[in-house]
Amino acid sequence: MRLSYQKRITLTAIIMVVALLLVMAALWMPHIQRDVKIMDALFVIDITDSMNVQDATVNGETVSRLDWAKEFTRRTFLDMPCGAHAGLAIFSEARSLILMNPVEVCNSYHDLTQMLNQFDPHMAWARSSEVSKAVYTAIRQAKEIEPEPTIVFVTDGHESPPLHESLFPKFDGKPGEIHGVIVGVGGEDLLPIPKTNEQGEIEGVWGVNDVMHQDVYASLRSDTTTNVPKARTEHLSSQKKSHLQTLADRVGFEYVSSPTKPGKLVDAIRKVSETRPQTIDYDLYAWFSAIALALILLVYLPYGWFIRTDD
Amino acid sequence: MLLWLMPLVLLPWFSHNTDKTVAWQAMLPHDRLSQVVTLLFKLLSSLLIASLLLALAGPHIPERIIERSRQGAEFVILLDRSRSMDDIFARPPRNTLPIEAFSTRSKRTVSGDYLLEFVKRRPDDRFGYILFSTRATEILPLSYNRDAILATIEAGALGKGLSKTDIFQALSKAAAMFEGEAYRGSRNILLISDGGVILDASEKAQLQQRLAEMRINLYWIYLRTVRGMTLDEQADDNLLWLEMPERKLHTFFKKLTTPYQAFEAGSLKEFAAAIEEIHRQQYQALIVEERLPKQSLADWFLAIALFSSLVLTLARLYTSWGVKLAAQADRF
Repeated sequence: MRLSYQKRITLTAIIMVVALLLVMAALWMPHIQRDVKIMDALFVIDITDSMNVQDATVNGETVSRLDWAKEFTRRTFLDMPCGAHAGLAIFSEARSLILMNPVEVCNSYHDLTQMLNQFDPHMAWARSSEVSKAVYTAIRQAKEIEPEPTIVFVTDGHESPPLHESLFPKFDGKPGEIHGVIVGVGGEDLLPIPKTNEQGEIEGVWGVNDVMHQDVYASLRSDTTTNVPKARTEHLSSQKKSHLQTLADRVGFEYVSSPTKPGKLVDAIRKVSETRPQTIDYDLYAWFSAIALALILLVYLPYGWFIRTDD
Repeated sequence: MLLWLMPLVLLPWFSHNTDKTVAWQAMLPHDRLSQVVTLLFKLLSSLLIASLLLALAGPHIPERIIERSRQGAEFVILLDRSRSMDDIFARPPRNTLPIEAFSTRSKRTVSGDYLLEFVKRRPDDRFGYILFSTRATEILPLSYNRDAILATIEAGALGKGLSKTDIFQALSKAAAMFEGEAYRGSRNILLISDGGVILDASEKAQLQQRLAEMRINLYWIYLRTVRGMTLDEQADDNLLWLEMPERKLHTFFKKLTTPYQAFEAGSLKEFAAAIEEIHRQQYQALIVEERLPKQSLADWFLAIALFSSLVLTLARLYTSWGVKLAAQADRF
């Protein structure tokens, strides 16, 4: 296509006027209001002994489940949109202990991570791990928080003492009343569990005779339908996927097993949460100046190198 | 990233899109002014492209922390999380007639409420929070972030208490929070509990030394459990009260070389008065850190871009007007 000299000059002038208007817009156009969907989440981290099993990977390195949980939670904070709220809690024994109610995730990122870093097996106040009951207490306490947060429960699902399927602790809430995601951590293989002493220091591993292998109630029953003799493996731990799925169904949570991308977890949280819109100021200057730049470059591109111009 | 596009600023120097090919160069008159103007326009075009690129790159002065002198103090909050704190605060003895309605809120929720109010009233203070349970853990290192400290106190008022608490450990942890910090102003530990412990000699010596070393004032808001009992001994004392752990702890605290003050709260009024008194006492010069948010510099570059594009656009419009006139003249 060839353009006459006059047309080229006119076209250039028009483009320059448009570019000038765009630069003016970039500089003086008021911020527009845009709604983002934000959520409130309460991260409950399992700090029981089974979380010390080294079978999770962070950046290709094998780390303990607890380290993975902390690192993944931190990255999830980063992936949450500003305006969203995150709180922290720990789980030991049979309950969840809330340490910080949800706070705005961008402004308080530093304090959230500082607290997260402190999470350690020595914070545990007892040496048992009743996951289902802890999920129930988390739900009960979430109801006291305003607005009600979505629970993100990071655990390997290891119940100690073990549970029999038919003797599940009773859930007295309404499933789905509080929304939540259970995040499973840990590998497929049964591995020995490091044992912590009273001071929370790791001392050897739990032996086969240190732990219960049967549900407390089932073991007292004589009928072989509930008290089925089975392999004694409760001193070993893996991610209890079917148990976590059952638990999630019971309380109306989603279950995500070993997520790899924090963004995926944020999406899962957003999906189950009742998000609320928050208006943020959005500056369009980048768009205006980018278009202006593109137009100006269009004026100066050396077309002469590709097509011959006459006149 | 965007700065890789910087070589684009050279484009105006290679482009001849709007040049007119003239049959014989020598026919053109040499004009110093035009040469200068041409050069100037090329420079301006480069400047325009460069400034737009820089504006797009999102230039900013990063978030900075500056130190300012303010009024206030630094507090580490130690809120007892033991089971006994779940009991109703200031409950009248069972043998009294319920003439006046009494509050049925637990000691923990009451303490939480007063703490929240205290923190909200002190905008410049720095607060830390220790989870005071079987093993004390410093869950919130000293921070200026109001939201974080308020959320932590709110969380502390939720749910049920834990089995045991260890005051010695909690106090040592609280003192350790100031370790390696420059002295900015009054340092305080605010202990709220409804019980005491008996410390052994070495624990006492350690605490005494730590508190003195870090120059920490200790405040103890004692939530009275037994009606009528005071921390200080009195003439008409019940014999059972003489050996109470809280009395022993109080006696030890009084012997500290560092400032110590106890408040005994048996009612909401007394609790409020204690908080008010601490608030009044701790208003001294304090060096605080302030965070200046990051400042965008994009507008400066956009202003440069605006200036250069304005000049260039006017020049282009003038040229196009001139060319149009010439074309019209040609036609006749």
